[in-house]
Amino acid sequence: MTNSGTANGDAPVIRVDHVSRWFGNVVSVSDVTFDIRPGITGLLGPNGAGKTTLLRMITGLAAVSDGTITVFGQPVRNNPDLYGRIGVMSEHETVYQFMKGRDFVKMMARLRGVADLDAAVEKAIGLVDLADAAHRPMGTYSRGMRQRMRLAATLVHEPEILILDEPLNGADPRQRVHFQYLLKQLAAAGRTIVISSHILEEVEQIAETVLLIVNGKLAASGDFHAIRAALNERPYHVRIISDSPRELASALVKLESVDAVNIDPDGAIVVLSRNVRDLQIELPRLAQRASIRVRRVDPLDDSLESVFGYLVER
Amino acid sequence: MGSVYRLTLRQLSGRWRLLITIVLASLPVVMGLIATMVDDPPSNEDFEGIVINGMLAGSILPLVVLAIASAAFANEIEDRTLANLTLSPIPRWQIVVPKLLGAMTVAVPFIVGSAFITSQLYFDGDMTAVIAVTVGAFVGVALYSSVFIWAGLMTTRAIGFGLLYVFLWEGIFSGFVSGVRFLSIRHYSIALMHGLDERRFAGSDNLSFGVAIGASVVVFVLFLLLSVRRLRRMDVP
Repeated sequence: MTNSGTANGDAPVIRVDHVSRWFGNVVSVSDVTFDIRPGITGLLGPNGAGKTTLLRMITGLAAVSDGTITVFGQPVRNNPDLYGRIGVMSEHETVYQFMKGRDFVKMMARLRGVADLDAAVEKAIGLVDLADAAHRPMGTYSRGMRQRMRLAATLVHEPEILILDEPLNGADPRQRVHFQYLLKQLAAAGRTIVISSHILEEVEQIAETVLLIVNGKLAASGDFHAIRAALNERPYHVRIISDSPRELASALVKLESVDAVNIDPDGAIVVLSRNVRDLQIELPRLAQRASIRVRRVDPLDDSLESVFGYLVER
Repeated sequence: MGSVYRLTLRQLSGRWRLLITIVLASLPVVMGLIATMVDDPPSNEDFEGIVINGMLAGSILPLVVLAIASAAFANEIEDRTLANLTLSPIPRWQIVVPKLLGAMTVAVPFIVGSAFITSQLYFDGDMTAVIAVTVGAFVGVALYSSVFIWAGLMTTRAIGFGLLYVFLWEGIFSGFVSGVRFLSIRHYSIALMHGLDERRFAGSDNLSFGVAIGASVVVFVLFLLLSVRRLRRMDVP
């Protein structure tokens, strides 16, 4: 790592070194270490995992209890000079209700010392496609519009680092696509972007690198595809309700994609599979061949918590 | 600093806050008006003690400033918008000072205006007395603003803290425990009024003019610095 204060080469832009944070007896973040380099990094974890606390420490809004955090080689806490290079969009959606969207972005630009104020404001508002609503007070905005105008205010000084905490909350599908496109463009221009989410698929579409946080600890980190592959190998429990559970269960046992089959007292079949993709294809064929009517198929452990639980236990 | 100042002015100019402020600030004016209209007007000592010292300097001034100044940061913390300011590449004092000036700008017209009109009515245009009361009220607004800005940063219950401070410390203790007047903003204001017009506000427990000026400067600067320090050290929600 260099302390040059620039984002060139392979030097980490953000370095989190053995960082912990506790509130009284509650440990929110525990001995977390990682580096973040230019590109998009996804910070994934279930609600309450410590993502927001970690991001608040990375931005200097909160102090660390132990460890160090540096941005461009400098301590970030109480370092206002550094904030001109960082854009932060917190998870809180509150805005100054009385303020017009354009005035909000302009105020943020002024606070961040932007030189060509009007041009920068119009550019940022244009990026989030809200020029038509910029003259309205933000109290009249929908949730998605508020998020977009907050993003414009975050981008207005063209920061080298973008830290976005659950930015897609309240966005509709079209806005999500636009947002993802925008982030990819910014990353391609060399920016460092950290985006937190509790939705795996949301991050999967944009982040090259992920950090998985569970119970305040770093459960996994690295290339998203490698982690995704590990996830695909994990055993799934699938619950199947059919007209003839015993016949279907005996047929399912023979499938290579199935590791174990149980029949619950209520007649539902619970299948354990390490290759759920193949099971999805084989199950309808099997039922059709045996003339068994399948009424319902439910994944039992598809929640993000169970995914993280699996990764932590590995 | 202009952006934070303008933002603060807009935040503190809510309809209800201003309405309550107008009602409270008009009470001494009404008392002054009544005092000039009745056949048997109160003595100067009574009017100074009850209306200027007790009602204006002891109750209305601190309550109005409490409602305005404590909200300058407390509202931002409650709404979780303070990060918009603290994540800006500006020193912390450039956030605290415009917040303080914004709170004073909202409070001064009402309180100082009330002090000016009330004294103008009762003292019948005696400009020495009018200036003394007006300056004393202005200093009171500045000092309470500095204290309550800090309180708004320290606790989410700044209003409760402020009420206890105003009624217990300034209202009760400073009236009965003589040493407390050295730590009482109300006593600084009254001492300044007396210092500017020695014919009036001559209480037995008055501080000297010099002590009042020195203490006022110390309190104003001390709480300003404490606010800057707090903003540096606190976890911003």
